[in-house]
Amino acid sequence: MTTLTAWLRDPSPTSRRQARLGQAYLAWLRLKRNRLAMIGLAIVALLIIVAALAPWIAPHDPITQALRERLQPPLTPGHILGTDDFGRDILSRLIVGSRITLFIIALVAVTAPVFGLIIGTVAGYFGGWTDEILMRITDIFLAFPKLILALALVAVLGPGMENAVLAIAITSWPPYARVARAETLTVRNSDYIAAVRLQGAGAARIIWGHIMPMCIPSVIIRVTLDMAGVILIAAGLGFLGLGVQPPMPEWGAMISAGRKYLFEQWWVATMPGMAIFIVSLGFNLLGDGLRDVLDPRNSGK
Amino acid sequence: MALIEIDTLSVTFTAKGRPVRAVKGVSLNVAQGESYGLVGESGSGKSTILRAICGLAPVSGGTIRIGGQPLPHPRGPAFSRQVQMVFQDPYASLHPRHTIDRTLSEPLAIHGIGNTDQRVTQALNDVGLPPNFRFRFPHQLSGGQRQRVAIARALMLEPSILLLDEPTSALDASVQAETLNLLNRLRAERGLTFLMVSHDLAVIDHMCDRILVMQHGQAVEELPREALARAEMKTDYARSLFAASADRMLGA
Repeated sequence: MTTLTAWLRDPSPTSRRQARLGQAYLAWLRLKRNRLAMIGLAIVALLIIVAALAPWIAPHDPITQALRERLQPPLTPGHILGTDDFGRDILSRLIVGSRITLFIIALVAVTAPVFGLIIGTVAGYFGGWTDEILMRITDIFLAFPKLILALALVAVLGPGMENAVLAIAITSWPPYARVARAETLTVRNSDYIAAVRLQGAGAARIIWGHIMPMCIPSVIIRVTLDMAGVILIAAGLGFLGLGVQPPMPEWGAMISAGRKYLFEQWWVATMPGMAIFIVSLGFNLLGDGLRDVLDPRNSGK
Repeated sequence: MALIEIDTLSVTFTAKGRPVRAVKGVSLNVAQGESYGLVGESGSGKSTILRAICGLAPVSGGTIRIGGQPLPHPRGPAFSRQVQMVFQDPYASLHPRHTIDRTLSEPLAIHGIGNTDQRVTQALNDVGLPPNFRFRFPHQLSGGQRQRVAIARALMLEPSILLLDEPTSALDASVQAETLNLLNRLRAERGLTFLMVSHDLAVIDHMCDRILVMQHGQAVEELPREALARAEMKTDYARSLFAASADRMLGA
């Protein structure tokens, strides 16, 4: 262990990999000092572990109905968080539903930011007409409220998880394009870009190898902070019946189903609400911590 | 024949809708192997001339020829292998997220030159940096070390002309001399031609064979080093500039 840390902290690394891992290790040390970020990281890690092990740790089948046991209150033996209106164990549904949430988050996280990053850096680097056209398209997408646009898209494409993901991705890329463009504008006139241009580098190499690395930290921060919003939109679509379809245990759809019993059997809607709240909080705390670690303006201190 | 020929060069920027003439009809010639200095106060247009040569500033009149050939637009790979530049501020001219290795091997990758490992180690050695600096990041280096990396980067493509934009003004006094000596040594070893910008006559005196004094975007006076050493300026402006740094020159 000590030899590994010594290797990571070596001020004169001997290979590209050691240099990169060393930097990651330093970033990790800085993140570790932030207690709230560690809480956020723990929540996100817990979500991933639960989703990975869902079929083995869920105490009951999340879909099979047991009408004799419907609407059992929390702390009932065998059903710690109670049961819903079809007698399904809420804890099991939350555990299995974490897979759906994670799947949506992951798909949105790998599509929207990448697309936004490309649009933003290209617009910022070339400027002029390219910038005008790309940014006006971005403005058009930004002009619609996110949820409304997602609703319209799902209404056109038809309900379902894949279409919900697509709709969320299409509505959430513009902020990333904005962030990436702003970052590109601050970087593109710097001496190190002038230097590589003077060496004869083409636009693609400059954008990919020199500008994007400078934009990625702010985009990553933005992604983690937006994840809470993505979960809420996915839940909103599920709530309105346009996202994941029953009997799949999606958290938003579970809240929607519990709405009818909100006053007498409060736990049916509250438990998935708590799950959404905790996961959103986790991503927000992690995003705040990452901002302190990854922000280029803080690095080198 | 002169290697760099600049004839009545004008550069006009547009700032807030108004044209700003940064360089007004400046002419100069630099011979092969010569070290030529541009001196003047801030805003006199001396750095703009270097940027115009590199195609980084809008030329509105006049011509720039290198080796008798007018420069193509855009500059192209042949230009990169002939002319390179060392920037003023080594804190801003190295990519903060690239290792020294990446910074130095990038020009090789762009021009498809192989043998990267050996060339990068050799380049570090040439500028007097230990080989274990290769995988460090710029923020792990001091200002002087960064400027050495910037010089090594400029020399990766083995250019014949080096444009130096106040290469020591961002460095400590003690490191300045080291860096200037390094540049002089490299020039002697490789037969480089320098076109150097500075506001510091002491630096120019140490480095340059001939100098051109500039003010408000215009050439004021051209004088050889001997004339500078004997303080034989014809114009008042050049004399006042000399007076401002004379005590340091005498001390050096």
